[in-house]
Amino acid sequence: MTDKDFDLTRRSFIDRVLMATAGAAMSAATPWAAMAAGAQTPGTGKVRLGVIGTGDRGRALIQNIGKTRNCMVAAICDTYAPNIVKAQQWVPAGTPTFADHRAMLDAKGLDAVVIATPLNRHAQHSMDAFDAGLHVWCEKAMARTIADCGAMVRKSQDSRKVLQIGHQRMFHPTYLNALRRVKAGEIGTITQIRASWHRNNSWRRPVPADSNDRRINWRLYRESSAGLMTELATHQLQVGNWFLDAVPTRVLGSGSICYWKDGREVYDHVALIYEYAGGRKFIYTSLLNNARYGCEEQIQGSKGSIEPELGRIYQEIPPKTLALQRMQADVKRGHKRTVPIGGATWFPELPVTTPGDSLGWGEYDETMLQFEGFGEAVRSGRPLPGLLYQAYNASVASLLGEQAMDKGEALTWPTGLVTI
Amino acid sequence: MTPTAPPTLTSTGIACFFAMGTRVELHRFGPGDEDALMLAQRAIEAVDDALTIHRPSAATALNEALLAGREVAVDDPVLFDALIEIDAAQGLTLGLFDPTADAQRATGWRDVRIDAVARRVAVTRPVALDFGGFGKGFALDRAAAALRAAGVSSALLSAGESSIVVVGEHPLGGGWPFAIPDPLRPERELVEVELNDEAMSISSTVGAGTLAPDRAAMIRPGDASVVSAARCAVVIDRSGSHAEMLSTALIVAADDEVARLTGGARRFLFDLAPVESARMCV
Ligand SMILES: NC(=O)c1ccc[n+]([C@@H]2O[C@H](COP(=O)([O-])OP(=O)(O)OC[C@H]3O[C@@H](n4cnc5c(N)ncnc54)[C@H](O)[C@@H]3O)[C@@H](O)[C@H]2O)c1
Repeated sequence: MTDKDFDLTRRSFIDRVLMATAGAAMSAATPWAAMAAGAQTPGTGKVRLGVIGTGDRGRALIQNIGKTRNCMVAAICDTYAPNIVKAQQWVPAGTPTFADHRAMLDAKGLDAVVIATPLNRHAQHSMDAFDAGLHVWCEKAMARTIADCGAMVRKSQDSRKVLQIGHQRMFHPTYLNALRRVKAGEIGTITQIRASWHRNNSWRRPVPADSNDRRINWRLYRESSAGLMTELATHQLQVGNWFLDAVPTRVLGSGSICYWKDGREVYDHVALIYEYAGGRKFIYTSLLNNARYGCEEQIQGSKGSIEPELGRIYQEIPPKTLALQRMQADVKRGHKRTVPIGGATWFPELPVTTPGDSLGWGEYDETMLQFEGFGEAVRSGRPLPGLLYQAYNASVASLLGEQAMDKGEALTWPTGLVTI
Repeated sequence: MTPTAPPTLTSTGIACFFAMGTRVELHRFGPGDEDALMLAQRAIEAVDDALTIHRPSAATALNEALLAGREVAVDDPVLFDALIEIDAAQGLTLGLFDPTADAQRATGWRDVRIDAVARRVAVTRPVALDFGGFGKGFALDRAAAALRAAGVSSALLSAGESSIVVVGEHPLGGGWPFAIPDPLRPERELVEVELNDEAMSISSTVGAGTLAPDRAAMIRPGDASVVSAARCAVVIDRSGSHAEMLSTALIVAADDEVARLTGGARRFLFDLAPVESARMCV
């Protein structure tokens, strides 16, 4: 792709974001989006990022950062040397590399860090970076415990440094557009979101000879992860809170290791109900041995439904020809005949089988936009409003869900969370 | 100056939308203002907004007060008109249409006091009102009035195909012919009727619609018993809200009441079970 083509796709992506977020209702609901899309300051010296963790996600982030106008990767760090080597193809030759993040922080020359390490490392890496006077961009979920999530928030507030968490759906034109259509009343009152992330694989990665299972498959062990809850559900819980415009009041859940009895410690089946004020619900399942229903959030309103992963909106009225509409055609032909009413077409409360209309996809990457927004936040020293609130609540919700399943009890939303 | 004749608009059109928990269809034929359908739709949505109990509305605010036993002013004009119409129809339905009917509480319309001058409502004990069995007909009446005011002289309005109002004659002249199938055996016809500037309401205790999860059971006011017999009532009346209230009343009526309610009018009650043969009144 030429630079000109690249600029065009970037422009069209950003235009979609701006279009989706125009108007008072949307700027109140998504204040971060237009600010990130408005980041227009190339040339004035890029924000220098040190990436901690160059595993799968870290390397994807490095590629995205490379595409931004206002950020650059100035150092990379990983305890596992082969992952440093894999990452080097995406950074300029001579970019300093580190095996210990403290050494990277001590070496100076950075404005912020990007953290893409296993979940149980996030809090320590963030704290150390704040202590070094840097801003922090950290992958979701925030931390392994609710207390650590709160500590990260408080630390960023106390040190007056930006803390941004990687919830890219908040920058995705399809999600923004979906929310705009919700705010416009197109699907009526949302009373339920049914979300799932179903996969059919063990979620287990092969372990190279020079590493070990707990390091490579950190997702499968409780010390380092809450499994499906923190790795997958967080994204969808963020979407749930965002579209229901609230945090849950209570969560009930059941988890089991049902299929992959391979020594893992985290559940391979989770099923939870998050309750929201007014009787609204977010119903969630995630499992690892059936992919039929994949990843989706079915946002259900009184007038329609939205499936943002598919990018579809459905109206409750199926546009099929009913007896009454046949009458119209009859009249045009000058033909009067008895209209059979009721019976099978009496009530419309049947599953909607129509394919729905497309909400429109963006080809360009929301992950990049996250970083352009972060770059602006670092430059101004002010976080993009609204983002951390969403991220914190999503992480708390995922960890509270884990506790509810472990205890087999309904748990109420914690009091004493940090105010953002 | 030669007077110019008003332009003759022969536009036909359809508006389909979701309101009052069901599919609403408005079909217009012949002359009338361009925006007539839109005005009619607005009229229906205004009723839905005022009477719904599925989201905050004037009705839910009223219910909150009445359940707390508080006397309350009714500021919403649509809700107020609805209350007045229901109150006025108590004789017509022999008190068998009762929006307070509740299987849990032996409450009744007699517990409700409406001061039409002060536009206030009071209750002698806590009640909540549910406008199902009234709202659709009431909304269609208002939509029909909007169409007439916009110069439309031929139209068909349907809410879920169980409430129908026709404005004027069929576009090809004469009445509007409808066939009403047996809700249990849709291939079988219960009755065929013709409407002329009239309304029709169909109520049933059986059939696809009654399986919908949010459908309330039919409750007989007074003893608050749930009507479980398989019945279908069809009522034709000048007024959609009357047709609606009467068809609801017929479903819960005892034999002698059925005779009084149907006497001489185009009102039908079909007992669909346990015997195969449908009994037709009138
Ligand atoms: N936003 C998204 O869509 C998304 C997608 C995938 C992963 N993630 C998140 O990214 C993070 C990383 O996931 P991943 O799939 O890349 O895992 P991974 O195992 O592939 O990568 C983690 C890397 O961190 C390194 N590491 C471990 N401890 C370290 C330390 N103390 N210092 C420096 N490096 C260390 C590991 O060697 C490894 O290279 C997780 O928090 C995950 O939830 C987010």
